[in-house]
Amino acid sequence: MTDNSLLRKERLLLASILDQLVPGNRERDIPGAGEIGVADYLTDVAVRRPDFEASLRRLLDRAAGLAEGIDPGSVRLLEQAIPNEFREVLTETYKGYYSRPEMRAKVGVGAHPVHPSGYAVARESAEFMDSLTEPVRARGAYYRDPRDTGSD
Amino acid sequence: MAGDPVDVLIIGAGASGAAIAWSLLETRMRILCLEQGSHLDDMDFPSRREDYELARYAEFSCDPNVRGLKQDYPVNSDDSCITPVNWNGVGGSTINFLGHWPRMKPSDFRTKTLDGVGDDWPVDYHLLAPFYDMNDANTGVSGLGGNPAYPHYTPPLPPISIGRLGQTLANGFNRLGWHWWPSDVAILSRDHNGRQQCVNAGTCDLGCAAGAKGGTNFTYWPVLESAGVELRTNARVRKVLVDGNTGLATGVLYHGPDGRVHEQRAEMVVMACNGVGTPRLLLHSTSRHFPDGLANRSGLVGRNLMFHPLTGVAGVFDEPMKGHEGPMACSILSQEFYESDPSRGFVRGYGLHSGRSTTPMTYALGGFGIDSPIPWGAEHREIMDNVYPYLAGLTVVTEDLPDERNCVTLDPELTDSDGIPAPRIHYRLSENTRAMLRHGEDRAKDVLLAAGAERILPNDSDKVWWRAGWHQMGTCRMGDDPETSVVNGWGRSHDVKNLFIVDGSIFVTAGAVNPTSTIQALALYIGDRIKTNIANLFD
Repeated sequence: MTDNSLLRKERLLLASILDQLVPGNRERDIPGAGEIGVADYLTDVAVRRPDFEASLRRLLDRAAGLAEGIDPGSVRLLEQAIPNEFREVLTETYKGYYSRPEMRAKVGVGAHPVHPSGYAVARESAEFMDSLTEPVRARGAYYRDPRDTGSD
Repeated sequence: MAGDPVDVLIIGAGASGAAIAWSLLETRMRILCLEQGSHLDDMDFPSRREDYELARYAEFSCDPNVRGLKQDYPVNSDDSCITPVNWNGVGGSTINFLGHWPRMKPSDFRTKTLDGVGDDWPVDYHLLAPFYDMNDANTGVSGLGGNPAYPHYTPPLPPISIGRLGQTLANGFNRLGWHWWPSDVAILSRDHNGRQQCVNAGTCDLGCAAGAKGGTNFTYWPVLESAGVELRTNARVRKVLVDGNTGLATGVLYHGPDGRVHEQRAEMVVMACNGVGTPRLLLHSTSRHFPDGLANRSGLVGRNLMFHPLTGVAGVFDEPMKGHEGPMACSILSQEFYESDPSRGFVRGYGLHSGRSTTPMTYALGGFGIDSPIPWGAEHREIMDNVYPYLAGLTVVTEDLPDERNCVTLDPELTDSDGIPAPRIHYRLSENTRAMLRHGEDRAKDVLLAAGAERILPNDSDKVWWRAGWHQMGTCRMGDDPETSVVNGWGRSHDVKNLFIVDGSIFVTAGAVNPTSTIQALALYIGDRIKTNIANLFD
């Protein structure tokens, strides 16, 4: 599959399916998967993987025949009709969506590559850890040693 | 020169191969390590990329069947509920392991005597304790001394932060009066030996670009290579050779980067390919002396395969847990249910590990080591916006008891790119393990609720994690009796006096803790015994 092999109407169809798979959240300014162009990611995967291209093609062919258009109910029908292909497309959709740094940030995870900067996490003080572990230490030794039981 | 005989030939540059090479450095013997993979360049670590999560499902998957890199060998796991995972390259699986570093416990070495199951080891905790300490110093282990679940020891570096998630769960354990302790980790809590402290990236499985995680690519190998140990990469061993008269190992045949076969002769051969790779190579090394595989007169090479079956339980809290910040597997560890208690309906026990939560893509795809995408549609949005950030979880890590039916054999058809037969895994969960998993799930729920979870996420699957085969043990077990073990109490083959095995395959039982610290302590111990017995090593 090449970028051009999806017709414009197929790209619109795919985008509308993707927006059903990962819908946006207007209140939080989170776009859906179709809105941010995950279709491009899927097309790229299809170019590299003929098996995925076949799954995507089957899904689109099925979807094109849905009389009611694309809504949660019709997407559910697709899932029931071609579960394996649907799952493959769903998996790649999640990959395409969450590989976008800005989408990670929308759910509270840094948009940046995690190296070199990582995350700043406050170090617990020795006093705090002493206090937190005190009930555990108060119970005393908590293991069996064969030497102590005379079985070694 | 390449091809000249060496004194010591080590197969595999992972955890155990590096440790024993270090131990043998002082002998001034000529040491060569053959490694089927290569060094990772700094820019090869995916955590420097914006789309770093994608690598987890491609070239940096922990599953060699997904990676499919040239240095990987495929694994047939069709007859198993768990598939082995690994890394093939300098550092071995310490490249993508998670750095959790608990020691085995004194009772782990005497399960037969104490609990009537498994077998006793020919070594014990106290014999290995100095080697644990030595390896902790070499690796740069962080932790809090005084854990009442062990005889006293103190890790060389202070503990890493347990974070909001760890503190929350610790309070839950405290409310129940149950054991917990900050995890020992092979992760630097401060700069150490030229390596940078952990930056809390949270992607330990994608390799640690900072060098904070104690992969042997950052700990042992720089020292070893500068001291003159030869590390020959992209060198895949095909077969261990045996002298037809003496029955001693004479070296190996290996494939170089161009695929051509070379012979390398050696006075001593050390296997360090872990619990799947080592039996695979031994079973493939047949000869007139050893028609059923090298060092296999007991028939136990490949048998008694043990993993650590896992399951997880997660709770939803009322504030973000920030679980993606910090080493992904390591915050706190409870060993409240580690030792046998007949009232629980199973023998031996398990640990409750606070895995931190994973990154969004991995969570959406079902979690680490699982292929089961979360729901799509409005439910997806609800989960990712209002559940995912608020999660804290516990992983139930169970002891796996040895069973000869669980084994590694050679696949009759599947091969690697050099035509060497792939390993085939036959593995079933025991009823004992299933009972442990059920018990562990219930206790994990108790802890999460005690810690303040508003609700527990339903887990309607009775399956264990598929990609949980990190810990591969037992397939060349050690023991005093050549009829019931493959190597003796210091790793020497009963059948081939100059063949040693130093990896997880020599474990007699599995414990319920991550094995790498014990694998390396054992390798250092075996190195020490080799040095002690050097005058009559092959008698």
